[in-house]
Amino acid sequence: MSSSVGANCTDLKLKYDSCFNKWYSEKFLKGDTTSECEDLFKDYRACVMSTLKEKGIDKLLDDSRKEAPFPSTDQQKQEGAEKTA
Amino acid sequence: MVKFYQHVFNYDYQWQNVTLAFWLRYPNPFASHVLSVDVLDRHVDENGVLKTTRLVLKKGKVPKWFPQSFVKNSEAFVIEESEVDPKTKTMITRTKNLNHVRVMQVEETQIFKQHDKNPEWTSCKTEARIVSKFGWGMTGRIEGFGQSTFIANAAKARKGMQHILQIIREKQSPFYSPV
Repeated sequence: MSSSVGANCTDLKLKYDSCFNKWYSEKFLKGDTTSECEDLFKDYRACVMSTLKEKGIDKLLDDSRKEAPFPSTDQQKQEGAEKTA
Repeated sequence: MVKFYQHVFNYDYQWQNVTLAFWLRYPNPFASHVLSVDVLDRHVDENGVLKTTRLVLKKGKVPKWFPQSFVKNSEAFVIEESEVDPKTKTMITRTKNLNHVRVMQVEETQIFKQHDKNPEWTSCKTEARIVSKFGWGMTGRIEGFGQSTFIANAAKARKGMQHILQIIREKQSPFYSPV
């Protein structure tokens, strides 16, 4: 599995990813959408967020989302329809 | 000017495995430029759709003709948002770079769907938009570079997906996590 942006978060990430991959294949894709792995995600995410803050990427992330949010799926479908029309 | 790219590709694998491969696609031998991948947000919404935001850090490539003083750090952060709807067997992913956006912004959308005629296959439609606001008479050249790089990288990305899909198939298990 790939590393985390924070070297000290990689272990937490691997634990979370393993849990997620198992849940995704064995539960989610088969129709069970009840969340699992929440606790592992909370710890992992906290570690990543503090790394992003240290590196000053948290602001970049917020600004980027304000500037140009992704178009919603509906909008895209409309655009697609216009193109084919 | 803005450059566009469109591509349709069929994977000879079931939709479930293609979407799993999307999560597992890094690292792979065709993506040595990917330094890290992190999940920033993830939840299942009220319609049962899994929504994920990931942050990918990539080593960038700056062309020799580009004034080096403008890009001190060629590492690029890419944000990836995705939606997986298991009921309609549709996965939509959108990515764009977060930094170096004045030099060049690349936005990519991919739609993975179970193939209309063959449920053993997955169709993948890719659309990308490449735009530079750099100016200095270099916008067109930068966008041209961005477009040709994007096309080469998209081919590599498909090889990476195929590589992971092959491993999943070999393991003959619905769940596999590469170490």
